[in-house]
Amino acid sequence: MSKLLSPAKTEVLFMGNEAIARGALEAGLSVAAGYPGTPSSEVIETLAAVTKERKLYVEWSTNEKVALEVAAAASFAGLRSMCVMKQNGVNVASDFLLHLAASGTRGGIVLVTCEDPGALSSVNEGESRYFARMLEIPLLEPANFQEAKDLTKWAFELSEKIRNVVILRSVTRMSHASGNVICGRLPDKFRTARFIYDGLITDPLRGPVISTPVVAKHTLQQKKLEKAQKLFEDSSFNKYFGPKHPELLIITSSVCFLYSQEALSMLGLQKRVGILKLGCTWPLPTKLLKKYLRLTDKIMIVEEVLPFLEENIKVAAVDMLKEIGIKTFYGKKDNTFPSVGELNPDLVVHALGKIMKVKYKSLAENYTQEIKKIAPLIPERELTFCPGCPHRASFWSINNALQLDGRGGFVCGDIGCYAMAALTPAIGFNTVRTLHSMGSGTGLASGFAKLNAFGLEKPVLAVCGDSTFYHAVIPALINAQHNRADIIFIVLDNAGTAMTGFQPHPGLAVSAMGESVPAVDIAEICSAIGTKVAISDPFDLEGTSRTLTSFMAENGSLKVLILRQICALSPEKKGKKKFLMQVDEELCLGENCGCNRLCTRIFRCPALVWDRIKKKAAVDEVICAGCGVCYSICPQKAIMRTEAAD
Amino acid sequence: MAFPVKRLSSQKLLKKGVLEEELCTGCGACVGLCPYQVIYHDRTVQLHYCDLKDGKCYAFCPRTPTDLNALRELLFNPDDLTPEIGAVKSYYFSRAADSRLRESTQHGGTVTALMEMALAEGVIDSAIVSSRNQEFLQKGTVVNEKAALRNNAGSKFTVSPTVAAFNQSVNDKSGKIGVVAMPCQALALAKMRLKPVQVESGKIDQLQLVIGLYCGWTLSAEKFTKLLTQNNITLNSLRGMDIPAGKNILELYTNNDTQAVPFDDVQACVREACRYCLDSTAEYADISVGSARFGNDWEEMRRWNQLIVRTEKGKELVELAIKRGTLEIREAPVESLQELKKAAMEKKNTALRNIIRKSGSAKNLLYLDRHDPIVQKFLKNKASDKKSR
Repeated sequence: MSKLLSPAKTEVLFMGNEAIARGALEAGLSVAAGYPGTPSSEVIETLAAVTKERKLYVEWSTNEKVALEVAAAASFAGLRSMCVMKQNGVNVASDFLLHLAASGTRGGIVLVTCEDPGALSSVNEGESRYFARMLEIPLLEPANFQEAKDLTKWAFELSEKIRNVVILRSVTRMSHASGNVICGRLPDKFRTARFIYDGLITDPLRGPVISTPVVAKHTLQQKKLEKAQKLFEDSSFNKYFGPKHPELLIITSSVCFLYSQEALSMLGLQKRVGILKLGCTWPLPTKLLKKYLRLTDKIMIVEEVLPFLEENIKVAAVDMLKEIGIKTFYGKKDNTFPSVGELNPDLVVHALGKIMKVKYKSLAENYTQEIKKIAPLIPERELTFCPGCPHRASFWSINNALQLDGRGGFVCGDIGCYAMAALTPAIGFNTVRTLHSMGSGTGLASGFAKLNAFGLEKPVLAVCGDSTFYHAVIPALINAQHNRADIIFIVLDNAGTAMTGFQPHPGLAVSAMGESVPAVDIAEICSAIGTKVAISDPFDLEGTSRTLTSFMAENGSLKVLILRQICALSPEKKGKKKFLMQVDEELCLGENCGCNRLCTRIFRCPALVWDRIKKKAAVDEVICAGCGVCYSICPQKAIMRTEAAD
Repeated sequence: MAFPVKRLSSQKLLKKGVLEEELCTGCGACVGLCPYQVIYHDRTVQLHYCDLKDGKCYAFCPRTPTDLNALRELLFNPDDLTPEIGAVKSYYFSRAADSRLRESTQHGGTVTALMEMALAEGVIDSAIVSSRNQEFLQKGTVVNEKAALRNNAGSKFTVSPTVAAFNQSVNDKSGKIGVVAMPCQALALAKMRLKPVQVESGKIDQLQLVIGLYCGWTLSAEKFTKLLTQNNITLNSLRGMDIPAGKNILELYTNNDTQAVPFDDVQACVREACRYCLDSTAEYADISVGSARFGNDWEEMRRWNQLIVRTEKGKELVELAIKRGTLEIREAPVESLQELKKAAMEKKNTALRNIIRKSGSAKNLLYLDRHDPIVQKFLKNKASDKKSR
């Protein structure tokens, strides 16, 4: 049985995301929708695993905007729903979110955003906290694992009290770390969906769900926010820890609370520094704030990336200047903390130590020297494609075609595992030259292709994954077709949303809940758009190269190539080798002229290893996935392949 | 060349010094040795980056610095050397004795006849020639059977990367190999004979015969195809081409008729690299063969070849061909040799002029060594030309 269903009062080790899921279940969640995105994916995954035991509908939607719409529908029908995404997903959902916040909601609805400061699993470290302020909805941030559960549960209650969507924000070190949580009660009654819509347009609860009349509904929206603020003043999620008369007050939220606590403990400053932990960070509970801002003139704000909390507190402080006096703020603006990258306890220790004049060496004297000594021994681990990854083969063929063409063509990249072709240029054979957000590769390519009128005569290619195709690429593709952008559009179809953990998408005949559902075929969509479509197996290097080369020789219209080969880590393939690979050392030319280590230096499958002593290539049988592609690479045919037994 | 030779990889030197300078003749010497270079249409393409510093590609390329003197010492008798057209042991007019063969060849069918006989007599086990390709894209083809040679007969005016075929096909089983080579290709094969790189250096020993072809220039396949299209000639219908002496046209023989294209239009399609080539008679081959264009007897002479024998091996082969009745020989008029030398000298002078214009200085002859005795002769000629003006 999933630990998500543990009985009340049991203490369970939960990942932050699991705690959030549990909190939602305890709140009587009926519907959850999202799009995979690290570090948020486990929330939906764990809920999808308990849909048989709980009356629950869980969906992986095509993108975050649709996911929010799906969750909103449940809310309009009086059910409690949740929408889950990573930070940039909020940007995608934001147009709808703007209107949702204006129209108001009915059943409690919580938008969970799991952010990635420092971009450990993203190509941005954007902030979604500002959406709360900009769209005038409440923002909650759990500071530990118990709160991840409790605050989520309360978020639904808050949402229903004010009849609007509530944002709950987590970060990597909350979502993916684990801690003990004492479970509450799971409800045994479930709500019935009821959509009431025949009231007046001005009645948000019984009329049509609509953001107009705009000024009236906006006024109502702001009143809702004031109501939330009142509730925040008394919330137990906003708590002070520390002495009655601190020398310095730390105001913080999220995991930065844990870093602050750790820093105080390391520096021994618990009696001199107080911490005001805010679980409700928008709107700020100003009365509460006033109470604690009075305690001292030195205020330190500890938060990730941008100075959201810092600026809001400063604005509030100015409004109460006469009552609290002038403060000295330590935060991002005065460079106490950086506005980029991830925060950690060491940074807080360093800042506190300086201000409170306490010396603390978190690193030993000779730490840097010792690191320099052993650094050469640490093997370089570049971001790369797995052994057996179809993308390696695809980019190999793409590079071949681009070089043969000779006009300096390039690829506009997109988001997925294949994004690594841009992050580590060598593994994409230096073909990918732009990388932004989901679906942007095709849009950029559509734009680049029209520049031939201005003298840009390079072939333009775009790649995208199968999941990305449904998410955001279709409008860009239609744009390219309709505006006659002469691009070669390549879908890297590995039958799953691989980068985030192999979640299903509309291209597969299975849903998040494991049900059998109709698949929507990419090739058919492209044909319907009116483009020429070819399908190839990327492992067939020659065939793929031939198709690409012939595409590049054609001018004038959009061409689509679908490279179909299932991901090496897919449940179906994992562990099953198609071929057994071995290097014939006598044939291997190694670093000599005639080869110069093509397989280990250029192709770079992790399973191909360069033996520095023998000066020959070798296959690491443990990690080799048995795809057999390297057989075609070796100029000496020294990499032998035999069919593996079933 | 002014590149930091010690620091750059061979491939990079090749790219900067030859490919980017448009000096690449498309000979194919740098292709077929490794997975990094390929020939596509008539371009040499580098697929991936290689960081080796003593690579065969750079060493074999006929447009990288070459010790021509070392080559001459290796291949020829110094008494046979002429400044204009290289080593000349003997000079004839020749044609294939088999009249049926002559029907499918450009002029006298000498090359095909010699290669056929060399195969038949076991002088070589396989021949590498350029093959006929519908899209004007030539590639080298390995031929083991006599009959197949005839299918590939006839001059081609676009480049064929024949040396790539040699690189790819030479192995333990290929035995003795004969190659029909353009001047740049003969030079590349000669450079390979110097064994500049140790790895697999024994392979070149299998090269037993090089029949060189006279060459004034080759055409860029891309540009020429466009020209044909402009003249409403489809590639499929083209059976052959020739340059009749005295007229200023290129004759194109299609399925239905013969068309003529003004030579100036054809000139614009000439591969850039050819403008910097000094060798019109394939000086580094065993035997060189061209058409017997001579004076006013074009219609009679067009069915004969000129033949220069340069090496002992070449001499033996021609003598065998005469003995076996494969080849008909006749003495060439003295004026013919004079005309040939004059034409060859003009080409050398033009090329040197182009090289100096490109490099900007007579002290930088790109791939040529300005201290080479033959090169010096022509430089001096040019200098004296200047003075006399």
